[in-house]
This record gives sequence, structure tokens and C-alpha cells, in this order.
Amino acid sequence: MTNYIPTIGIEVHVELKTKTKIFSPSVNGYGEMANSLTNVIDLGYPGTLPTLNKEVVNLAIKAATVLNCKIRREMHFDRKNYFYPDNSKNYQITQSRTPIGYDGYVEIDVNGTKKKIEILEMHIEEDTCKSTHRGNKTLLDFNRAGVPLIEIVTKPCIATAEEAKLYLEKLKELLFYSDISDCKMEEGSMRADANVSIRKNESDPFGTKCEIKNIGSISNVGVSIEKEIIRQAELLDKGETFQEQTRRYDDKLGNTVLMRVKETGNDYRYFPEPDIPYLYVTDEMIEEVKKTIPMLPDKRREVYVSKGVSEINANKLIQNRPLSDYFNTMLEDNTNFKIASNLLLGDISAYLNKNEKVITDTTLTKERFIELIKNMEDNTLTSKNLKDIIDKILESTDSIEKIIKDSGIENITDDSAIREVIVKIIEANPQGIADYKERPDRALKFFMGQVMKETKGSANPQMATEILKEELSNK
Amino acid sequence: MEEKLTREEVLHVAELARIKITEEEIERYQVQLKQLLNDVEKINDVKGYDDEILIASWYAPTTLREDTSKEMLNPKEVVENAPRHSGNYIEVPVVISEEA
Repeated sequence: MTNYIPTIGIEVHVELKTKTKIFSPSVNGYGEMANSLTNVIDLGYPGTLPTLNKEVVNLAIKAATVLNCKIRREMHFDRKNYFYPDNSKNYQITQSRTPIGYDGYVEIDVNGTKKKIEILEMHIEEDTCKSTHRGNKTLLDFNRAGVPLIEIVTKPCIATAEEAKLYLEKLKELLFYSDISDCKMEEGSMRADANVSIRKNESDPFGTKCEIKNIGSISNVGVSIEKEIIRQAELLDKGETFQEQTRRYDDKLGNTVLMRVKETGNDYRYFPEPDIPYLYVTDEMIEEVKKTIPMLPDKRREVYVSKGVSEINANKLIQNRPLSDYFNTMLEDNTNFKIASNLLLGDISAYLNKNEKVITDTTLTKERFIELIKNMEDNTLTSKNLKDIIDKILESTDSIEKIIKDSGIENITDDSAIREVIVKIIEANPQGIADYKERPDRALKFFMGQVMKETKGSANPQMATEILKEELSNK
Repeated sequence: MEEKLTREEVLHVAELARIKITEEEIERYQVQLKQLLNDVEKINDVKGYDDEILIASWYAPTTLREDTSKEMLNPKEVVENAPRHSGNYIEVPVVISEEA
């Protein structure tokens, strides 16, 4: 793209899925009436004191575990001081000196090659209130103030915009699957900032970095990094220098725009938060949290493929958490997992989408699903017939066998009934018999079409093929 | 000569606090802020703390709260305590138009 080597680091803020806020018993919620989810602690009233939410510590330990981080055992919180109305205390409670997790990694797959994206640290902090600008006024909604966050910071080890996207997708998958966050970038529960710098040679020191803030989607992270690399390269090519700065990605312009020249770390005048005594993490706490981690996406992918599911279907299942969880309940059973995945992602998904349901809303128990798979496997039920009865299967509690019978679409699996039809068709098509000697595949296809037409699709295809071959070779 | 901060240092601190100060104040704060700093730096002379960060008088663990909600404020009460409001929102002047 350019003659420069980019160096990229990513900071991600993730809102934790707790019931209440980090330091107050107010509800942690989204989309409610402005300033309806607050109390005096969130509003920073004088004399109030923060009390740390136990679940925040648990979820942070969980995140550190799934991100392969080391977990700090003794820590404190710090105040980050800054003047801005999104935080009425004039400081944000965060962890600067003693982040709960450090030295971790997330593994991504770059065109078939595994790469570890190293995580420098991850820490706990509080979210600020949401500010909306209207002309010369700013409107504040404190519902978001005090929502628990973890911030995950990578080392500057990301080499391309593509790697940055892969990292974020993987991170999202991990945090979502471990029930740490719902990771909705469109609602701001996952937010990414990218630090980008470029240099001519590997041996040169890092170039001046620019931070791109508030990028609203993973694909825009990719676009904004690419644009920023080009912008910096053009400046350097002209022999210009630039200052360290914060930019944001403007979706309409399709480029990054300057927000402000950065305040340096010192300007935040961090100091230890005296209102919260030391936090200790014990072995017991870590063990308890580990028990709550479900099977993670990489493991699911591995298990699904080992059970005969195609890689494409394995990925599609994982993208749909309820389907994947449902699929996991059958892993110990003896069934055809390939057919299971095809059914879940095919007709069953179509039904769920049409009726805006999730799999657990339907009547399809594991036992009935396994029965359905068996009927598909031995061709008692064809894909064509399934479409006619899928609603019934997912809405009634009748056995699959009964549904098939009641619907009158039972496959003709009776050998003699099919043979009778086939003999009649062969006799009516002498040209087909001649063709069969020349081009058997083509002729077979023709005869099968006739058989299905005659039986209205209810002949068991495997059986029909066998009998057709037998009868044709006798001619 | 009296110890003091530079003019630029005082202006920088004022900028961080977003306050305007007069010429006379700049000169006065150059001296006063330096005195404050000197006083605080005496903490460095205390033996025994080294790099350990002391934030509480004892190493007792912080109290952890169960994740259960309690009664919250009514939005009307929230905006009543703000100098200006617009509906349920607290209203403030724009500080920087581009900010997170």
C-alpha cells in the first residue's frame, strides 16, 4: 500500500454484563429514559463513597483468564483527573499502576498462519456519562456513568488493518461467549481506539503515533487504519512532521479528522484512589470463576469439525450462539452431526428467522431432533418433504414419526411399490435404455427425474437409484 | 532568590483546570504552588514506604458489594440539583465540540 511499515496497537473498552454499576447499586442498563438509572454516587455528590461490585471483579478475572493474562493478586484503584462534564467528580476511577490482568494474548489466524496478538494489560474502570452536543449546549445523561468497563490494551504488535480486524472479531467472540459483555459496537458496549504509527525500516524507532477514537464498527476499524496509514505516509513523503494527536473516524467523509492534540499522561495527574482499600484476588476466587467459563469458540470449532461438520457450518453455528449452545447439548449423543448442522442452519434457521424465535422457543427437544436426523439419514424424509412439515415439527410435541405419517407424505420405501413404478417407466422409455448403455449417468438422471415425477417426490432416492440400476442392467 | 515555578508551568496548571488567571495571580501562584510542592515532597523523606503505594491505613481488603440493585433517584430529582436542564437531561455549556 505504502513504502512504510505500520505499527498498530488497539485499545478496547468493553461494558461488563452486570446487573448493577461498578461502584453503586444503580441498575446497569441501556436505552432507558435519560437520568433514570442513577443515584448520588453516580452523580458524584459530595460525601458519597464508592463500593466495588463483586461481580465486576469476577468478570474481570474471567476476561483475564480467557485472554490468557496473568492475574494480579494485590491491587488498588487510581484517580485519573481531567476536566470534562462527562464525569462530575472531575476524575475517573481506573487502574493505572496495578491493572488486574497483564501479559496475555489472543491468537488469530492470518491467511492460515497463527499469530499471537499480545495483550499488554487489561484493567477495570468506570464508564463516563453520555454527552450529546446541541449547538452551544451539551446534554448529559448519567445512566452510563459508573457502568463497569474493562479496557484491554495490546502491545504495538499489529502489522496491518486486516490483523486489527481479525483481533477484534476474535476478542468479541471470546468476551461474548464467556458472558462477559454483549459486545454490541452499535450500542457502544464495545468501543475500539487504534494507535497508528509508521516507519521506513524495521530498525528505525517507532514513528509519531496518532490515536483514532470512537470507531463504530469492526469494518470501520480496518478502513480508518488504512486511511490513517496513507495520510501519515503522504505527510512523511512531503518531508513534513506531525504532532502526536487524537483523531476520529468520520463515516461520512470516509477518513480520519483531527479531534485534539493529545494531553500527555502526566496531565492526568494519576494518584491512588483513597476511597477504595486494597483489592486482593485469591486462588479460590480464580477457581470459582474458571468453573463458569463455557466451551470457547476455538474449542467448539475443533470439536464440531472432528464430528464431521464442515468448517463453514462450524463457523456459522458459532456465529449463532443459541444454535451453537443447542448443538453442544448433543455432543455426547450418537447421531449424524453433519446432517444436524445442515438442518439447524437450513430449514430450522429459516423457520426461526421467519418467526423471530430462537431454537429454545421451539418444541424441538434434543430427543425429537435426533429422531428427525435419523429420518433424514435413512431417507424416510427427503429435504423436499421436510419443508412441508417443518412448522409442525417445531410447534408440536408429536413424535417425528407421527408427524410424517399424519401428513401423508411418507416416503415410498416399499421395495415392490417403487419397483412397479420403475418398471413401468423403463418400458415407456426405450430410448432411455439405449442411452443408458452410452452415457449411464445422464440416463440415470433422466430416469430418476421420471420416478420422482411419478411418485411426487416421495420415493426414497437411494432405494430408487439401486432398483433403477438393477432393472436397467437387466435390459 | 525565592524558589518558584516557571510562568509556563502555572499557565499549564490553569489550563488543565480550565480557569483564567490574571498577571498578578500568575506571579503569586508561581511562588505558592512551589511552596506546596516542597511541602508534599517531604513525604519522600519518610522511611519505610519505598515504592509500596499506601492508600489505606491498614492492608485490610476492600469491601465487595453483591450485584443487587437498590432504589434509584427520580430523573426529576436529578435535574433539580443542576443549574440548568433540558427535559430529563442536565444541560452544560459546550467545552470541546469534539470529545469522547
